[in-house]
Formats: sequence, C-alpha cells, structure tokens
Amino acid sequence: MKKYRIAYSIALQETLQRRSTLLMDRLGGFAIVVSLYSFWNALLGDKPSFLGYTRPEMLTYVLVINVLRSFVFTGRGWQLVGEISSGRISSYLVRPLSYHGYALALDLAQKTVHAASSLFEVSLLAWLVSGGVFLPRDPATWILFSCAAVLSSLIFFFLEMLVSSLAFWTSESGGPLFCFELFLQFAAGAFFPLDVLPENIRRLLSATPFPYMVFFPARVFLEKVPHAEALRLLGVEAAWLCVVILAALALWRQGVKSYAAEGG
Amino acid sequence: MSAFLKLHARVWLRTASMAMQAQLTYRLGSFGFLLGKMIRLLFFFAFVMAVFNHVETVAGYSLVETALFFLTFNVVDMIAQIFFRGVYGARRTVTEGDFDFYLVQPCSPLMRMVCSSVDFLDILTLVPVLAMVGMVFARLPALEWTRYAAYGLLTLNGVALVFAVHVIVAGLAVRTQELENAIWIYRDVMFMGKFPVDVYAKPVRWALTFGVPIAVMTTFPAKALLGLLSPAWMTYAFALTGAAAAFSLWFWLDCVRRYTSSSS
Repeated sequence: MKKYRIAYSIALQETLQRRSTLLMDRLGGFAIVVSLYSFWNALLGDKPSFLGYTRPEMLTYVLVINVLRSFVFTGRGWQLVGEISSGRISSYLVRPLSYHGYALALDLAQKTVHAASSLFEVSLLAWLVSGGVFLPRDPATWILFSCAAVLSSLIFFFLEMLVSSLAFWTSESGGPLFCFELFLQFAAGAFFPLDVLPENIRRLLSATPFPYMVFFPARVFLEKVPHAEALRLLGVEAAWLCVVILAALALWRQGVKSYAAEGG
Repeated sequence: MSAFLKLHARVWLRTASMAMQAQLTYRLGSFGFLLGKMIRLLFFFAFVMAVFNHVETVAGYSLVETALFFLTFNVVDMIAQIFFRGVYGARRTVTEGDFDFYLVQPCSPLMRMVCSSVDFLDILTLVPVLAMVGMVFARLPALEWTRYAAYGLLTLNGVALVFAVHVIVAGLAVRTQELENAIWIYRDVMFMGKFPVDVYAKPVRWALTFGVPIAVMTTFPAKALLGLLSPAWMTYAFALTGAAAAFSLWFWLDCVRRYTSSSS
C-alpha cells in the first residue's frame, strides 16, 4: 500500500507543478459550464420548471455535472494506450506492483486536484448566479451522493482500462477509445439530464452502467431519488462496478499474454 | 505570385494526400474517430430536437433557427479542423526539431505548420452537416439572395478569424515551446458557439463579441441570414477579421524571427 501512497504523492506534486496546464484545463471546463448554464437559463426563461426541474435544480444539475466530470472523467486510458504502443508498459510489468493499482493512484492524484478546482469554480458560479442553487439539507443525501460519485469514478476508470487494453492487440485502439469516451459522456448525462431524451432511448440506456455515472449521482444530489430507491440503485451500481472490474482484469490478463513488447 | 501559389498548392496537395493515406492505413482508428465525431454531432442535434419537443423557443429562436446556429457553428469549426489541423501538433513540431526543417524548405513555414495536416475524417463529417444546413434553408421562409450571400461571406469570415487564432497559437508554440493546451482552450471556449450568443448574460455576450470573438465566428452568419444583423455589425465583423489576420501574421513573423532552435 505504501508504494501506491508514494505514487499518489508524486503524481499530486507533478500535477500541481504544471500549473499553467492545470489552469488552462480548468478554464476550458469552466467555459463549458458557463455555456450549459446559460443555455438552460435561457431555456427556462420565465417558466417555473422544465421537465420537472425547477430553475435552482436545473442550474444545480449543471454545476454538479462540472464536479462529477472532474471527479469521474479523469482516467488513464490514453496513457495506457501510449504505454502499450510504445512498449513502455514492459517496465511496469516487471515491477513488484499492480499496474491497475499504480494507475489508480495516479488517477486519484489527478482527481484530487481537478475535483478541488471544480468545487472552487462551482462555488464561484453559485455565488454569481441569480436563480440560486439547490443544496440538500439531509446529511444522508450527501453520503449517498458521495458513494455514488466514488462508484461512478471507479466504473469509469475500469471501463477505460477495458477499452484501452485493446492496444495489446492493435495499435489503432485510440479511435475506439475516443468514440467510447464521447458516447459515454452523452449517455452518462454529462451534458444534459437524460430526462430530455425520448422514453425508449432512456430505457435502453438504463440497461447499461452509463446513467449511473453522472445522471444518477446528480439526481441523488437533487433529492429526486428517495433514499430507499437510491440505496437499491447504489447496489446496482456496485454490481456494475464488479462486472466491469472482472471484465477489465480478464482482458488485461489475456492482453499481457499476447503482448510482444513492440517498440520497447 | 502565381508560381508561389502553384508551389504551395502542390505542397499542400502532396501533404494532404499523405495524410489521407495515413488515415486509410489506420482503418480501425480512423473508423473510431469518425464514429465518435458523428456521435457528438448526432447527440447534440438530438438534444436540441428533444428540447424543442417541450418548448416553442429558446432565447426567442425557433427550432429551425436554433438548428441554423448550431449547424453554422459546426460548419466553421469543421472547416477549421479540416484545414488547420497542423496546429494541434505545433508544440511537438517545435520541440522535436522538425520546425528547423520547415525553415530551410523553399515553402512558407506557416503553411507547413498550420495547413499541412488535413483531417479527412472531418470532410466526411461535414457532408451530413451541409445536408442538414440545406434542410434548414428549405424550412426557412423565402429570403432574398443577398441574405444567403451575407451568410456565405460571414461564414468565410468566421473561418478566416479561426485561422488567425490558429496562427497565434502556432506562434506561441514557436516562441514558448509550451502552451500545448492553448489550442484546447480555444476548442473548449468554442463550445460556447454551439448556441446563439443571445443565450448568454450581457457581460459574457460582450466578451464573446469583442474579447474572444466566438460570436463573430459562429453567430453572426446565422443572424445575417435571419436578417438580424445590421450592416454596421457586418462591417465590424470584416474589420475585426482583417485586424486579427494582420496581427496574427505580424505575431507569427515576430515569433519566427526570435526563434533560436529548440532541438538538434
């Protein structure tokens, strides 16, 4: 465990050292939040609610997805693709550590910095917006939201590892990863609440782990899901996590067997 | 002048042909990237359509008008992606020393840096966008040809303004060998152009018209077609592009003049 703690600490320092990169990353993300916020604000106009979301709830949804995007969608997929394609992965395979554990430690460092920055941005926006934001009063909601966010983050990490492991067989896995990440962001509700979509598409998506990654935690935060139902859905989310972990590890083992250290 | 243009056209065709061959060789990867771009386009379009199932207008614009803004953004953005793709690798070109070779070749280093990498996947993505623009045109009431001419000219003006931004980013890469993320900030801020600028609060609208002129690039052409842009604003748009192009070229030349080679 100590080696992963050290990896986390080094990665944290490295992320904080590259301040201009971090600042630019956050600035770009902030532009997206302002854009979505303004769109929903214009959409609501004088209406008291839209699709069952009041103005503060809809605006809070946009702010919550900014935090969730920073906490959930920071995986190590592109790094893994690069490391396999260049052969650099060999140096990790011979070390006495689990690659997934190591990657998770590095990812956690990135999440720490980005989630903290997004909380600052969201607080700033919440202070600036005129319509007000929705803050849950029940402490249980905060706990359920945190659990849902942690599970989402782990699902994303292992899903990305799963898709990136294709690099063991083909040097062209960047394309599928790009496609997967874009699809996932929409299907997870990272741009708009999935309630907007037609019923049949929503039902189709609910049979996948994607809505559990942003849409579900955001609805928990907005107290749109009763606590008992939220607990049940957390169980489903945990089951999805187990499935994804097992699939990612199985594919990883197969991949390592066929790995030829190309370029290494 | 004619010989100069002929030479650059030949160089561009050769590098474009090489880029296309590379993309055709990289079949799975290219397919993934193409599919991802299509997913992004279709999801956003589906989102706009779905929103208009519940409301009549957004910021005073109907579905057809909002679609026009969204599609115009895509046309400008994709044309820039197709022709100015080289900027995305500008920092690497400089740090790996390839820029030194550009400087000794009998061809404009700016053209080599910005325009020599053509993204054919975006050409394929542009086709459905242009078809959708045609469908939107068909749903608009009969308009004078001058409106269409203004739309076309302002769209080209938007592309020229995007070119100026790309030249500045390329100049920054030459001068600093850093700021890898500068082009990605532009991409994220450009996200704001997906919606008509009228959805934003006044200070943001001001910033998008005079500071980072996303509105001039994406909203002005659609507004001109709808008859909502006065001749004074059109003049401003063309003057701004002229000034931005002149500044970007001066900045580029200045950066090249100060360049002392960053790699052997």
